[in-house]
Amino acid sequence: MFELTAQPIDSTALSARLAAPEAGALTTFEGRVRNHHLGLPVTKLEYEAFDDLARLEGEAIVSETERLYPGSKVLCVHRTGSLTIGEAAVWIGVASAHRQAGFAACRHVIEELKLRLPVWKKEHHPGGAAEWVNCTAEAAARPAGDDFHARQAALPEVGAAGQEKLASARVLVVGVGGLGCPAALYLAGSGIGRLTLVDGGRVERSNLHRQILFTTAEIGAPKALAAAARLRRHNASLQVTSQESDLTPQNARTLVAGQDVVLDCTDNFTSRFLLHDTCLALGVPLVQAAVHRFEGTLDVFRSGAGGCLHCQWPDRQPGELDTAGTCAGGPVFGPAVGVLGVMQAAEAIKLLLGLEGDAPRQTRLVNLLDGSQLSVERSARPDCPVCSRLDQLQAARPVAVTDTGLFVAAAGVKALGAAAQTIYLTEPGEPVQAGRESVPAQDLPKLRELAAAGPLVLTCRFGVRSAALARLLRAEGVAHVFALTQT
Amino acid sequence: MAGATRQIHIRFFAILREQAGCSTVTLETAVANPLALYAELQGKFPGLTFPVALLRVSCNERYADPAVPLAAGDRVVFIPPVAGG
Repeated sequence: MFELTAQPIDSTALSARLAAPEAGALTTFEGRVRNHHLGLPVTKLEYEAFDDLARLEGEAIVSETERLYPGSKVLCVHRTGSLTIGEAAVWIGVASAHRQAGFAACRHVIEELKLRLPVWKKEHHPGGAAEWVNCTAEAAARPAGDDFHARQAALPEVGAAGQEKLASARVLVVGVGGLGCPAALYLAGSGIGRLTLVDGGRVERSNLHRQILFTTAEIGAPKALAAAARLRRHNASLQVTSQESDLTPQNARTLVAGQDVVLDCTDNFTSRFLLHDTCLALGVPLVQAAVHRFEGTLDVFRSGAGGCLHCQWPDRQPGELDTAGTCAGGPVFGPAVGVLGVMQAAEAIKLLLGLEGDAPRQTRLVNLLDGSQLSVERSARPDCPVCSRLDQLQAARPVAVTDTGLFVAAAGVKALGAAAQTIYLTEPGEPVQAGRESVPAQDLPKLRELAAAGPLVLTCRFGVRSAALARLLRAEGVAHVFALTQT
Repeated sequence: MAGATRQIHIRFFAILREQAGCSTVTLETAVANPLALYAELQGKFPGLTFPVALLRVSCNERYADPAVPLAAGDRVVFIPPVAGG
């Protein structure tokens, strides 16, 4: 449960509300007003919340945390109004069976609040001066001269231009298991702009020796959600979306459309063929890996180079390959999926930077037991019933030109029509820039009015507030509201 | 099929390596192509039961048709379907 209050926080009373006989742990966090900020003395703070959105986001964070840590119960209260030094501004309590989930859930709530909750604070300094401080900005800020990616951008093959390319890239990872975990972690570290994680499974104890994004605290949690939370903590500039369902013929095209690269980290041929065929039809490069015990294979598929998956398995059905090949749930050497997953991330980053070389024409075979590696050259079969007739495949299933998802890239705004308006949301205290259509983030009536007039694209300094408001307006039934992808 | 014999270098991948019990083997053989080679290997390694119809074959580091003629010194890799992740 999430609450906003103008009254002083009574931690004893709040703790009592979480009393439960099955809870062996109560973990609490209290955020207090301190007497300094960025080297300046502070005498008091004023908190102002954007009520409608704050309650919605607060509840969303709490329910997401309870799903992430099954069996835990979360209570979170945030203050508004004027607070003096030492007063509690936010209180979070988690009742859980064991301590691991309690600490992890508490940490998750405060990190997400800092990032997403539309609450602003005004700092008062001695002598009467006061200024607005943006909590979101503090959490997501990339300070000038940020060196998060500096050692990568220093590579001549990457450079500042390459780093910009990565920041505007969209990557889809299907399957967040032994391959998907390390792949997604390295993609997040590399500075990819948007990452979408797809997995309908939940974390199990027997996953933990190789699925390195998860700990014992996440056992039972939806994998996509747990991985997204972990990656957001790793790199705050990453926009990560989680889809808690498996890849299906119904959702494949929607997921793949608009992506720059797709990673196949699934564990069966049915999913592999579906993802491969969807990527082929939509012209999106695919990086596929698979592991059997100590050994793995890596393939990069890109239309027009080295043939397709059907060239390798002519006349074979996914079902018979699954039956004959490795079975899910079999023995697996943890470092084998680790190495192959990291290789997938490497190939994806290289594709985005134009460094892929011969990879799209090869199968790489890796053996971690004897240390051998072998590249096998692929070529298209002239009589391949799929890739030799790609035009027909694409014509039969026309490619959607507009992404009906929440996010739209700057280049895609035109496709929304001439009436589409892009609005920059300003936070309290943020100056309005000339030549940019701006609306205060809290002015919901004005945003509703603009959305009624035609397609509305929202943007803001970090992309957090604009996405939350676009979601809020969608929930109210406004169809043509979008959040601009941050580059 | 009574032609002269020559050396063929074979590598097994994944489940085939486990069934054969070794990663590599060099054979002095007269077989015409990878398909016949696999049959001969199955005679040598009784554990090698994986159906040939579900294998990919690489010859000298290129995917090849199982019926492609073999020459002295060729390097053949048998690659089964692998899907774990």
